[in-house]
Amino acid sequence: MAPIPSSQKKPLGNVMVIGGCGFLGHHIVAQLVESYNCKVSVIDIRTVRNRRDGVQYFDGDITSMESLLPIFQKTKPDVVIHTASPQLHGGSKELYRKVNVDGTRCVIEACQETNVKALVYTSSASVIHDNASDLINADERWPIIPAKSQTEYYSQTKAEAELLVLSANRSLTNPSLLTISIRPAGIFGEGDMQCLPPIMAVYANNQTDFQLGDNTNLFDFTYVGNVAHAHCLASLALLTTSTMKIKPLDTEKVDGEAFFITNDQPVYFWDFARAIWKACGSEKGTEHVWEISQDVGLMIGGILEWGMWVVGRAPKLTRRQVKYSCMIRYYDCGKAKRRLGYRPLTGLPEAIEQSVKFILEEQRVEREKKGQ
Amino acid sequence: MGLASQLLYYSVHPNQLRSILQWKLWHDPVHTRNPDKESPTLRECFKYLNLTSRSFSSVIQELNPELLVPVALFYLILRGLDTIEDDMTIPLENKEPHLRNFQNILEQDGWTYTENGPNEKDRELLVHFDVVVTEFKLVKPAYKAIIKDITDKMGNGMADYANNAEHNVNGVNTIKDYELYCHYVAGLVGDGLTRLFVEANLANQALLKRPELSESMGQFLQKTNIIRDIREDFDDKRRFWPKEIWSKHVTNFEDLFEPKNLQVALNCSSEMVLNSLKHADECLFYMAAIKDQSVFNFVAIPQAMAIATLELVFQNPEVFKKNVKITKGDACQLMMESSQNLKTVSEIFKRYVRRIHKKNNPKDPNFLEISIACGKVEQFIESIFPTQDPKALALLHKGEIAPEDARKKAESAEANKDVMYLMLAVFGTLLVISALMIGAAYLAGARFDVAVNELKKGKIFPKFDKGSEEAQGIAQQYDHGEL
Repeated sequence: MAPIPSSQKKPLGNVMVIGGCGFLGHHIVAQLVESYNCKVSVIDIRTVRNRRDGVQYFDGDITSMESLLPIFQKTKPDVVIHTASPQLHGGSKELYRKVNVDGTRCVIEACQETNVKALVYTSSASVIHDNASDLINADERWPIIPAKSQTEYYSQTKAEAELLVLSANRSLTNPSLLTISIRPAGIFGEGDMQCLPPIMAVYANNQTDFQLGDNTNLFDFTYVGNVAHAHCLASLALLTTSTMKIKPLDTEKVDGEAFFITNDQPVYFWDFARAIWKACGSEKGTEHVWEISQDVGLMIGGILEWGMWVVGRAPKLTRRQVKYSCMIRYYDCGKAKRRLGYRPLTGLPEAIEQSVKFILEEQRVEREKKGQ
Repeated sequence: MGLASQLLYYSVHPNQLRSILQWKLWHDPVHTRNPDKESPTLRECFKYLNLTSRSFSSVIQELNPELLVPVALFYLILRGLDTIEDDMTIPLENKEPHLRNFQNILEQDGWTYTENGPNEKDRELLVHFDVVVTEFKLVKPAYKAIIKDITDKMGNGMADYANNAEHNVNGVNTIKDYELYCHYVAGLVGDGLTRLFVEANLANQALLKRPELSESMGQFLQKTNIIRDIREDFDDKRRFWPKEIWSKHVTNFEDLFEPKNLQVALNCSSEMVLNSLKHADECLFYMAAIKDQSVFNFVAIPQAMAIATLELVFQNPEVFKKNVKITKGDACQLMMESSQNLKTVSEIFKRYVRRIHKKNNPKDPNFLEISIACGKVEQFIESIFPTQDPKALALLHKGEIAPEDARKKAESAEANKDVMYLMLAVFGTLLVISALMIGAAYLAGARFDVAVNELKKGKIFPKFDKGSEEAQGIAQQYDHGEL
């Protein structure tokens, strides 16, 4: 994006990004600094990485009011963007509950006590997904998976937190706080630890000869820059709404609403993987690929899971991976386009190109460090 | 193809033959024109329509009577214009005024044109163009105005191209030029037809507010034909593939046809296919606005042929050697499926898009873009014919069942009941017959007590004495005998 002259930059006042040193958070901070007229501060559990000039950093714990409130009182944010969350994998149930639910409750309370105008919450597209069924062109009318059917505890806590945030919109006790929830689908990009690195590892380990399923399943992968852009648009929309004297029409309403954010370019699952391998340097076509049906894949995955469990190692293929690579999972981001004016800034091809390049460079630096 | 080779072909492709027969025997036109009620000049016009058009004449003649004549004349007029433009034997100073003035010629009684070269295939139409003029003057003024307007725009566009020496020597330069060319020869037709449909109240008025949709209809057909005709056009010394695209893959246009460059040539054609495929979703959107069945068939059949052709030319080395065509059987199959409704046309689009996706290869420079374009068509179809119902999903999570599922459940319960009754009837019949047979055996003096005793002893299979050696010898003789 070409730099925007400061006179044309839209004002956002004081913006607080919680989790602003994280993967998504630091992309949001970058866009705020570059494209908006605002004063940015960041709270994170540790603020040593992903820092940026001109931004005030605070070490803080969102699960503690004692830690949060003084920072809020000091920076007096107009907008709070809450992106802090543990990673999807590897956390304990207690951690997910503590950070996602209790932490979010604290953030809401801090917002209410310090007269914040707008709270933007990073939810997840997985709140409507049970990790097994297909999601075909799903939009905001799709129901949230209730706790008893949700097999992913992370998603369950994200859904609970989203409900807390949206219920706090124009609440009786604090009618001036407006809230919104952003549900990104499959984020990838520079600094990503969950989406691209495992796919790139498949190429690095020379395991690109397999395909699970028939590759007719469309999937959403969303570039982090576009997700960050959606957060900025959401902040702007809430601030604009807060200055209006009358309530907006139901068809234009943004406060108290959830929005799916995608790249608006669903692709066939294995095509995405192959595009990444291509960006890594692969020159192979599909002639060498061995197609394994979902049923066979599930069987192999099951055997590996049990076998590796016995010897105490991580299996190379899990049933969860098999299911994910065979399922249809894409969304319709039409609501965000209509009400937030959202359009993806970066298309998939360009996003993959630059993200893979970034990660490869990071890995090279890492290797050199180890070599020394 | 000779008769023998045709017989051979259809004996190994019975499905193709089936489609052709189905179309010829079962196809029931929405409307049929009635030549008996037509004036002699109008009958003449339809004669020229059949002579000049291979693909459109039948769908035009099945159109709603309200638009049958205006659309047929519209076609003949544009064909006439095209016949002047195409003929390289006509000098520019003769050609240009005719092209620029054609909309006025339409109402000049008795106008004919005889200056086409003898080899021009549609020469006859212009030689007898007076019949078109006569009929055109009888058309409703509203339709006449639309046809004249498009003729004016297209004639001037063609004259500009004829004057453009650069275009005639080097062909089309940029993608923008390419699309402008397709606009003049196809987009304008789409625009004119749409205005006719709306004027006749056979299509939704909203189409007039979305001109990009009718534009896409024309662009999709034209671009697909241009990809398919690459070899034929090249042999005729014409180049429609834009330099902006082919120059990314080869240095000189001719290089595309060198067998050693096949891979880059295919990459280039992929990019052309991608460029055309981007219109597919808007074509479906357009067709959703058609209110009349005959108009729907008229617009849908060429679109179905186009998506099938696009799939056929994608990654197909033959396009650089000869003019490839979808088989007659496939064409009949497509006509049958596409002359129904938007759902069946969407199914066709989805089927061919999936085939394009299947042939798409990561080695192709536009691999991901093609995948995205295919996904976009699938997503659009899903948006008009959703597979999932959020209300049903919500009920499911509440532990209730959606009405749709409840109906299915009731149906399957009903089916189970039927199966039960059927089994009951079968076993009942068996039981009665067995009882009758055993009863008959008992009456005839069967010794069931002996049989039961034998079974109790564990002799399940009865054993018979083999008889004497002598007797066995005799029996064996007869085993092999010629009885």
